[in-house]
Amino acid sequence: MRASEPESPRQEGGEQHLDDLLVRVARGDQAAFEAVYDTLAGPVYGLILRVVRDPAQSEEVSQEVLLEAWRTAARFDPAKGTAATWVLTIAHRRAVDRVRSAAAATAREQRTAEVPVPHDDVAAIVEASLDAQRVRECLEGLTEPQRESIALAYYGGYSYRQVGERLGTALSTIKTRIRDGLIRMRDCLGVS
Amino acid sequence: MALLRNDQHTLTGVYALDALDTAAEVTRFERHLNRCDNCTGEVRGFRETATRMAMAVAQQPPPTLRAAVMADVARTRQVPAADEGARHARRLPRRTLLPRLAMAGAALGLAAAITLAVVLVNTNSQLSQTQQQLSQAQQELSQAKRHLILAQTQLAAINAVRTAADATLVTKATSIGGRVTVVKSAAKRQLVVTASGLPPLTAGKVYQLWLIGAPGNKIRSEGLLAVHNGRSGPVLISGVLQGDTFGITLEPRGGTVQPTVAPFVGIPAS
Repeated sequence: MRASEPESPRQEGGEQHLDDLLVRVARGDQAAFEAVYDTLAGPVYGLILRVVRDPAQSEEVSQEVLLEAWRTAARFDPAKGTAATWVLTIAHRRAVDRVRSAAAATAREQRTAEVPVPHDDVAAIVEASLDAQRVRECLEGLTEPQRESIALAYYGGYSYRQVGERLGTALSTIKTRIRDGLIRMRDCLGVS
Repeated sequence: MALLRNDQHTLTGVYALDALDTAAEVTRFERHLNRCDNCTGEVRGFRETATRMAMAVAQQPPPTLRAAVMADVARTRQVPAADEGARHARRLPRRTLLPRLAMAGAALGLAAAITLAVVLVNTNSQLSQTQQQLSQAQQELSQAKRHLILAQTQLAAINAVRTAADATLVTKATSIGGRVTVVKSAAKRQLVVTASGLPPLTAGKVYQLWLIGAPGNKIRSEGLLAVHNGRSGPVLISGVLQGDTFGITLEPRGGTVQPTVAPFVGIPAS
């Protein structure tokens, strides 16, 4: 049985395990999908909620994303990235699609005006988990403009043109800020 | 506005965060990506980075979501791995069987065809019964698999603590007999407990596990310890804090919120 194999001392065990599960999902294994759900539903919903900001709509988008992961699991290629990234990339794209249309964006701005959600407040990202703490530390290691641009683009779902408009900064500057910031984040988090 | 190629290269970050403005921009960048190995590697690293940022904002989804997704999953067909698979999937025997049977029926004459039809109806009703049984068995199998996966995950986590670079092992005799062994990893803030030779439990009593905080901190219950043939565990305990002591007490059946007696064994947990 697989479970009795010794785990490699370097602990990528969790991620490796999730990759294997998603490969099993691609073969129609519903039990494996439930395990994937239990690991990733929280990050999927949390990320979508941050971008979309409306809980009801976020639940709807999350449902679409998780079903999409089930339906198209055969397209996941472990050689090209982790299972978590594969699912969360779908989640972020769907969330962004939901808010990018002009009407949706206006509605979202109004909602933000009505309900003060501290969505751009990096300090609000604090969570108990060690992972979250590390991410926060790394975000704090960025320059203020880098942090602001990345938070608006990723957590806010804004396009880089919109980020430029909000910050009154040239497009070419936003572009390099986001890239430089991500390089720094990547190295700080030890992503290979 | 035509962008220069090296200009395209600096778009890796924007692209990885889904922050390009238009579909046309995405298409143009992806064309560049096909020719640029460096960019592909960079985008991959940025996406993994973004994943960590997503993990950091995880939130408990509404409880209704799980049931809704699972119901969708149960009735949604998956996209096959490749076109090759799609072609195979379409070649189901049922599609070709019926016309052939019909042709055979015509050749055999009406009486033979009626006999054949009766046989088919009977077979179909048996088939549907068998399918129901099969579907029930599949559900049971799926549940068993889920339990197995949970057990595997648990075991993997336990092995990860045992093989952690900073793992240390402490073994101690208890005041009521038997030995308790703890493998702990400070980096993971986890420990794995096993015990042997603990006295058999008298009726109405349980062994309960605790993390006892440093003075001023709380005592947290870590669940009950089952005993099989004098052996217990391995049990994984997470969220160990600096200064915690691990302990086991004898408590009334069902366990208690806070220990009612002093632990019969105590081992530094951090």
